[in-house]
Amino acid sequence: MPDSGSNDGAGRRQIAPLRIFGWIVSGMNATGSCWIVVLMLLINAEAIGRSAFNQPIIGVIEMIEISIVGIVFMQLADSLRKGVLTRSDGMYNQVMARRPRAGHAMGLFTSVAGVVFMGLVLWGSVPTFVDAWAGDYYIGVEGMFTAPVWPVALVIVIAITVTMIQFMINLAGHLQPLVGRH
Amino acid sequence: MVGVEVGIISVFVILFLIYTGVHVAVALGLVSFIGVWVYRDSIHIAVSLLAEATHDTIAHEVFANVPLFALMGIIASEIGLGADVYRIAYQIFRRVRGGLGMATVAANALFASITGSSIASATVFTRIAVPEMLKFGYTRQFSVGVVAGSSVLGMLIPPSAMLIIYAIVAEQSVGQMFIAGFIPGVLLATAFVLGILVMSYVAPKFIGGEANKVAEDLPDDLTGLQILVLLIPVAFLVVLVLGGIYSGAFQPQEAGAAGSAGALGIGVIKRRLTWRGLWRVLVETGHITAAILFLIITASMYSRMLGVAGLPTLFSEWLTSMNLGLIGLMAIYVVLMVLLGTIIETASIILIVVPLFLNSVEALGGDFVWFGIVTVIGAEIGLLTPPLGISCFTIKSTIRDPSITLSHIFTGAFPFACVMLLVLIAIIAFPSLSLVLLQYA
Repeated sequence: MPDSGSNDGAGRRQIAPLRIFGWIVSGMNATGSCWIVVLMLLINAEAIGRSAFNQPIIGVIEMIEISIVGIVFMQLADSLRKGVLTRSDGMYNQVMARRPRAGHAMGLFTSVAGVVFMGLVLWGSVPTFVDAWAGDYYIGVEGMFTAPVWPVALVIVIAITVTMIQFMINLAGHLQPLVGRH
Repeated sequence: MVGVEVGIISVFVILFLIYTGVHVAVALGLVSFIGVWVYRDSIHIAVSLLAEATHDTIAHEVFANVPLFALMGIIASEIGLGADVYRIAYQIFRRVRGGLGMATVAANALFASITGSSIASATVFTRIAVPEMLKFGYTRQFSVGVVAGSSVLGMLIPPSAMLIIYAIVAEQSVGQMFIAGFIPGVLLATAFVLGILVMSYVAPKFIGGEANKVAEDLPDDLTGLQILVLLIPVAFLVVLVLGGIYSGAFQPQEAGAAGSAGALGIGVIKRRLTWRGLWRVLVETGHITAAILFLIITASMYSRMLGVAGLPTLFSEWLTSMNLGLIGLMAIYVVLMVLLGTIIETASIILIVVPLFLNSVEALGGDFVWFGIVTVIGAEIGLLTPPLGISCFTIKSTIRDPSITLSHIFTGAFPFACVMLLVLIAIIAFPSLSLVLLQYA
């Protein structure tokens, strides 16, 4: 959605942890982008295998399901960083243009909401990962194809954490002009 | 009664948060969390609902439709198929009054059958069609208005991201929604063309000084062979994707995968796809996928919360008790969609509103496929109207000419929003427009 803007200070001089964090977000984004090609090939292979050779590829459905979750969560933090995560920013932009302090206050509120939400999802997702790891959960049909659940659960935990940190960085970006001396 | 109160308050809080600029997904998720917490009086139940929705919602094959059709559409834009289609339409309509406007509509309709997004169409045709129309003396407001208006065809003519999202929320088949969208899409495109024709006689000043006479210094005619060369790749994709779905050879997500592979192949053969371009395509696809599917995850939290509160049933009983009838219900529904469409974009509207109304529509005997078409068109009207019509903002951010203002775009798009409303009324009044093709599928 066309809501470019929410700049997190990229371009300016950045301290090392921020730069490394930027690499992590971009790296996850690159992984997710490549994964889209994998998904496309998987589904084409499945369609060809099923229709041309009457031979479904075993486990392809499970791999497709895993891929979708992987793609989405790998890209989540970068979507937020680049300002393409869906929001209605019409009023925000107008306030920002006329009264920057009020605009930053709105931005601060938005970021706090994001941090809190990601924190709650993280709170719920960590036990899910631990259970999957400890309980050796799997998807698929035993004897045909099985895949462990924990890697996807781990991807979700990491992605939610990284997205939460990105919201914190946005938060700091709005806080600075509100409290900082010029 | 607690259920109804929690539910209704939650809807208003969500809208308030969205209006202040909170990300739609965050607004849906947070309010769902608080709703379940209040209603069940247990923070642990609320937290595990968030976790369950996060892990389970999108792990299903049907969600592959979202990245694959996005990928296909973005490749098609990247390799310039939009421009090809516009050249063909230009050739056909340029000798008619208001012809370049009609060409934009026709090109959009054709391009919409290989892409699923209004935003993509708006971006492509702002770059291609607007300069051409300005060159031939069309007014600024008409030039941008026709692009904004016809870009909504991208959401209606299959494949369409919004029909996919509706199919997911309402648990309908994606393939059936695609079939149902066909006639309404063609009808809307035809109505736009007729609308332009009428305007060129009734309000020539609105369209532009030279709309009355036909442009004289036309570029050379394309030869039949040239048209064929431009048309073949697009026709190939349409046959592959829509032909594959309509004939039953492909599941929709398989058609998306095949179409993406086909578009990649065309880009390579035409030597229009660079490695850098491909990377840009993949990253953009990833962003769109993440934005839409994360929204769907949080919308699932919201509908689970509504379910816990029992709101859909209670809301349906309340609406039924007012004895509105199906038409009355639709009237309220369309007004609501149009109002919301001025604040938030289509996907969010569908995800927020549809779960509330499905029970009532079923109780009054409405068809879910037909209701989906009504929903998509209704929400799209809002994209063309102020204060926050998103299609108009997309055009504003794409266009490089600073003399074109947002008010030009909104003024120019207004007649098209009116035409959409008329078409929507026809589609509500005659459900067979949406449903007749399903008999042959």
